[in-house]
Amino acid sequence: MPQKKLSVRIDGELISAVEGQTILQAARANGKRIPTLCDLEGLTPVGACRLCIVEISGTDRLFPACTTPVQDGMSVTTVSPKLTQYRRVSLELLFVERNHVCSACVSNGHCELQAMATEMGISTVRFAYNYPKLAVDLSHPRYVLDQNRCILCTRCVRVCAELEGAHVWEVTSRGIHSRIVGDLNQKWGDAKGCTSCGKCVQACPTGALAEKGWAVEEMVKKNDNISSLVRRRGVQA
Amino acid sequence: MPRIQDIGAFTAVRESGMAKLVPQVPRIAVGMGTCGRGNGAEGLYRAFAETIDRSGMNVVLASVGCFGACFQEPLVNIRLPGLPLIILHRVQSNDAVRILHELSRGNITNDLAYCKVEEWDHITAKLKYGRGYPEIPLWNDVPFFKGQKKIVLRNCGFINPDDIEEYIAVGGYQALYKVLIDGRPENILEQIKASKLRGRGGAGYLTGNKWEFMAKAKSDQKYIICNADEGDPGAYMNRNEIESDPHSLIEGMIIGGYVMGATEGIIYIRAEYPLAVHRLNRAIEQAREHGVLGDNILGRGFKFNIELVEGAGAFVCGEETALIASLEGCAGRPRPRPPFPAHKGLWGKPTNINNVETWYNISPIVTLGPAWFTETGSPKSSGTKVFSLVGKISSTGLVEMPLGTPLRTFIYDIGEGGVNGHQIKAVQTGGPSGGCIPPEMFDTPVDYESLAQLGSIMGSGGMVVMDDDNCMVDVARYFIEFTHSESCGKCLPCRVGLNKSLRILSRITEGAGTVHHLGLLDELSRYIRECSLCGLGQTAPNPVLTTLRHFHHEFEDHIVARRCQAGVCEELALSPCENSCPLHMNIPRFLQLYKENRLDDAFVSVIMENPLPASTGRVCQHPCDSRCRRQTLDEPVNMREVHRFIADSVFFSDRYEEVLKRVLSRKLEPTGRKIAISGAGPAGLTAAFYLAMLGHEVTVYDSKSEAGGMLRFALPEYRLPKAALRREIELIERLGVKFIFNTRVGFDVPLNELADRFDSVFISIGTWRESWVYQPGTELKGVYPALLFLEAVSKGERVPIGKNVAIIGGGNAAIDSARTALRRGAEVTVFYRREHKDMPAIEEETQAAKDEGAQFVFLAAPHRVIGDKAGNVKALEIVKTTLGEYDASGRRKPVASDEIRRYECDSVIFAIGESVDFDFARASGLSLKPSGTIDVDRFSLESSRSGFYAGGDVITGASNVSNAMAYGKQAARNIDMKLMESDRWGEILPDFEFGQDPPEVPSPNHRNNGQMLAPVVRVRSNAEVVMGLSHEETLDETCRCLRCDVKVANVS
Repeated sequence: MPQKKLSVRIDGELISAVEGQTILQAARANGKRIPTLCDLEGLTPVGACRLCIVEISGTDRLFPACTTPVQDGMSVTTVSPKLTQYRRVSLELLFVERNHVCSACVSNGHCELQAMATEMGISTVRFAYNYPKLAVDLSHPRYVLDQNRCILCTRCVRVCAELEGAHVWEVTSRGIHSRIVGDLNQKWGDAKGCTSCGKCVQACPTGALAEKGWAVEEMVKKNDNISSLVRRRGVQA
Repeated sequence: MPRIQDIGAFTAVRESGMAKLVPQVPRIAVGMGTCGRGNGAEGLYRAFAETIDRSGMNVVLASVGCFGACFQEPLVNIRLPGLPLIILHRVQSNDAVRILHELSRGNITNDLAYCKVEEWDHITAKLKYGRGYPEIPLWNDVPFFKGQKKIVLRNCGFINPDDIEEYIAVGGYQALYKVLIDGRPENILEQIKASKLRGRGGAGYLTGNKWEFMAKAKSDQKYIICNADEGDPGAYMNRNEIESDPHSLIEGMIIGGYVMGATEGIIYIRAEYPLAVHRLNRAIEQAREHGVLGDNILGRGFKFNIELVEGAGAFVCGEETALIASLEGCAGRPRPRPPFPAHKGLWGKPTNINNVETWYNISPIVTLGPAWFTETGSPKSSGTKVFSLVGKISSTGLVEMPLGTPLRTFIYDIGEGGVNGHQIKAVQTGGPSGGCIPPEMFDTPVDYESLAQLGSIMGSGGMVVMDDDNCMVDVARYFIEFTHSESCGKCLPCRVGLNKSLRILSRITEGAGTVHHLGLLDELSRYIRECSLCGLGQTAPNPVLTTLRHFHHEFEDHIVARRCQAGVCEELALSPCENSCPLHMNIPRFLQLYKENRLDDAFVSVIMENPLPASTGRVCQHPCDSRCRRQTLDEPVNMREVHRFIADSVFFSDRYEEVLKRVLSRKLEPTGRKIAISGAGPAGLTAAFYLAMLGHEVTVYDSKSEAGGMLRFALPEYRLPKAALRREIELIERLGVKFIFNTRVGFDVPLNELADRFDSVFISIGTWRESWVYQPGTELKGVYPALLFLEAVSKGERVPIGKNVAIIGGGNAAIDSARTALRRGAEVTVFYRREHKDMPAIEEETQAAKDEGAQFVFLAAPHRVIGDKAGNVKALEIVKTTLGEYDASGRRKPVASDEIRRYECDSVIFAIGESVDFDFARASGLSLKPSGTIDVDRFSLESSRSGFYAGGDVITGASNVSNAMAYGKQAARNIDMKLMESDRWGEILPDFEFGQDPPEVPSPNHRNNGQMLAPVVRVRSNAEVVMGLSHEETLDETCRCLRCDVKVANVS
């Protein structure tokens, strides 16, 4: 059955979209960029980071582009002073939540969080830092889990479940105490389910999951590989 | 029990139930909800059962749910055949024998009766009990129930929740039967849509529309869910509904299942509600046995099952997608919608979720039709809503009112206002997702849209009342703490945003807030509200946003003045008494110093914080008394009398000169700055004291011939002997303060001249102008404004008042006038337009006036004064008033009636309020507020004209001595700070080493009150009425202090 074509306006420009697409997918298909962090093409969207919020004419609410389906005649605004302000607050909150010390991070220079902050011109935060005391899990022979750099985007959880089918990662606790855990809260090296495929490492936007053996600035993630893998395999999110 | 398969069997069950409900013998039913049990209903039930066993009486004993009046628990209803049902309140176990004894003789225990029910509308059926007992009020004549309309709570407190037969007897399952026989679900759907019923869980989505989506969804399997995960602090409607009437829920769900084509129902209930779970399980079991649940319901071929799932108590699981996740065995985290549960819900199948209370409305709508339902409520919000009215309110409980009822009705009519006369400050609706509404907005109708406009929500129906003991910053912090700990952590705004909100609020309550924090808090709250994934985050900032909007001044107090008026934020207060004192005296310190036999130190401690300790020791309104923690044991410490004793002991002894030297030695080096003060009243004297102490050259101007203001000229000698005041003024003079009398600032000395000659000016004139109401006869001879009368008397002038004096007003000026007139041998009658409890006067003073023989006529407003031919007062005509609506002060407004009464009298004294004479301020450059007071910055007290400060009555309107002095103190500090460009306040304040050990065992002694002269003696003289404490009594008082100021105790 051919999919129904919809016409949608994004930032005033008329584009055509396919029924079932999210606003984010439709925008990307038409070469329009919306800031995201938790989204990774090929994985089920979760709407956790709220960076992709957009305005839709006719309502005063904000919607996450990654989970909101397009509707015919919809008019979407992706850039406005309010959206920019809120996206900046989001980034500030991510920076104060955990210990993001770029100068000592393997992903320095290749970090999606850092890149986003640079793009938004964030050089300082207005909220007090939490400085939580968090563990670094070095038990896996090849990889490292550094909770200090985690932004709880859950890309690792999703890629492990949806693509690798191993279901190693999960989020434990709630609220500010939420953490990524392997298997039933075991050390990564003891997690029997882990196939050591490394997809979670490649999917991770920051230095929270990294390969061992790299020094500061040396870890370059290839998360495009994950998206292309999804496309090749035809896995449907 | 055979399953009901036809109408005959149904009728048989119905009759059997009726025989239990309205038996031919007396019936006693004990309210056994959680609220009743908490108040001892189980013991009461046992007491009844044992007594019945022992006596062998023929009485039916039953347990029922709750009737809603939680503050009257335990409730018991009793009934003799053919007579009304009597609801007894606050029944104790030892009442059981008496109740049964009276019942066996055909009597009821009248003293325990709360109200009666002659007939009851169960909506699905009407029950007539009978008529009688004219002395007992009908249930809806009792204030708590007046105006309530029980649709949802129709069976609560009447039927036994554990007995399906009683439910069927009052028309239960009849609606279901009707629906099944009718056989056209689409008709029922139309009815629900036409009823405009909206979801009672909080969001208020139209139930009919929700049902229609679900009915249209095509699937082999559909689910119906009842959301009974009631988690709002202070809300317990659903618990009570299920505990009292579980079958109504089951019936609503079966009808819903039939209409929407579902065969599986799930009730998701909190595990913290064990009684509700237990009763619901019993009800489901009984419904199965009776054939109203399961296969082939009522013989009509419809199949429906209900399963109970106990939630583990995560607040977020009240959100529908999180609830579904929880049912599926996942962690309770919401997911984005769409897809909505009606398309893709539990196990991916179409699912409908409604709140408990929504389901309770279904059978009434099916029975009586949508037109009947829309008669109740407002056009957009039809029907009723159950609210749990809790917190600082006299009558607490479950209240079912038509939607659109003003908030005022809930608070003042049903709830009967604050507890022990406390002022209600706010109502929090909708739990942690709602907002705080201030009294100015109590006219708001309670419905979905109106509350949303105020930034609050109706929510599931919690209504938490707060009074002046609650700090609104702390309230906001409390709710954020709750939502913060309940946030699932999935989306960033809720997870980290609330964490940061909580931190900022905590900093403010700890006294570490900055003005910058307020803007940040506002921005952050809006961000969380607009960006969060689910309802929890989207509504969590409401308590912050509404308190920021409606109680901004409290945030400012915490941040700028570092004060928490309510005394909740511990870091901001030394002790409750210190916090409540307008002058913030370190009360525990002078108590302890006196206890350590250090009178001189105690005096220095007192006078440096309160320059008029002898006067305030006599006339202060003593707010400290109402905050003293000692009153939880017996009575508050008599702090006022202690500092009066300390002051008198030094002022009237040979130690005076020596101690005075110590005080004078604290004076700072001369600064060369000159300050003028206009008005030598309490505010002016206080400012003069501190400014002189700080080394400035102070000149005080006053229009009168002596210093003291109201203390000197308005307060009668018998309350404040002038000798005490003279001592205090003398001390201020000795500090070098210059007084210029008989000079009116603004007339004799223009303000501009002051501005030229002085570095700073403080205006603290009093409210000497009587608010005159020009009524017929006020021009007659013998009509006086109270302050003129008191002033003339205090100067020793002759004021002819005659034999009979009428006084109009209920404030301190009225009582002072009355007692002064009594001392001149007159007969005095005081007329006040409200009731005794509304009088602003100090209660002890009113009582003393009564003892001295003053008559009081309440609910009486002046109509006109009648004179004789010579122009002298002959009589006063008053108009009787009745009390109408509540005003913003929480008191009922007096409304004039037609009834006019005449009182013969020789003079009339008006004491109905005073104001400032602002003629001096014309062309002065000082901006005035619409209320006629000088507009100043709340914290610095600087007026619109630079260098000009004002404080006391001149900025607040008529107030009292200690408040005025507090402004004088505040102004002195700010004037000094601006002139000297640094805060030198700490340099003049003394510091003492004193004991820091709280008493291990509180002193067992009761409060020492000053002895009073006998009324017959005192009314003949001007001698001081209240004699002070003795040394022993004072020492005893100081030992009663519990030392709340000690934060860390040394445990030996």
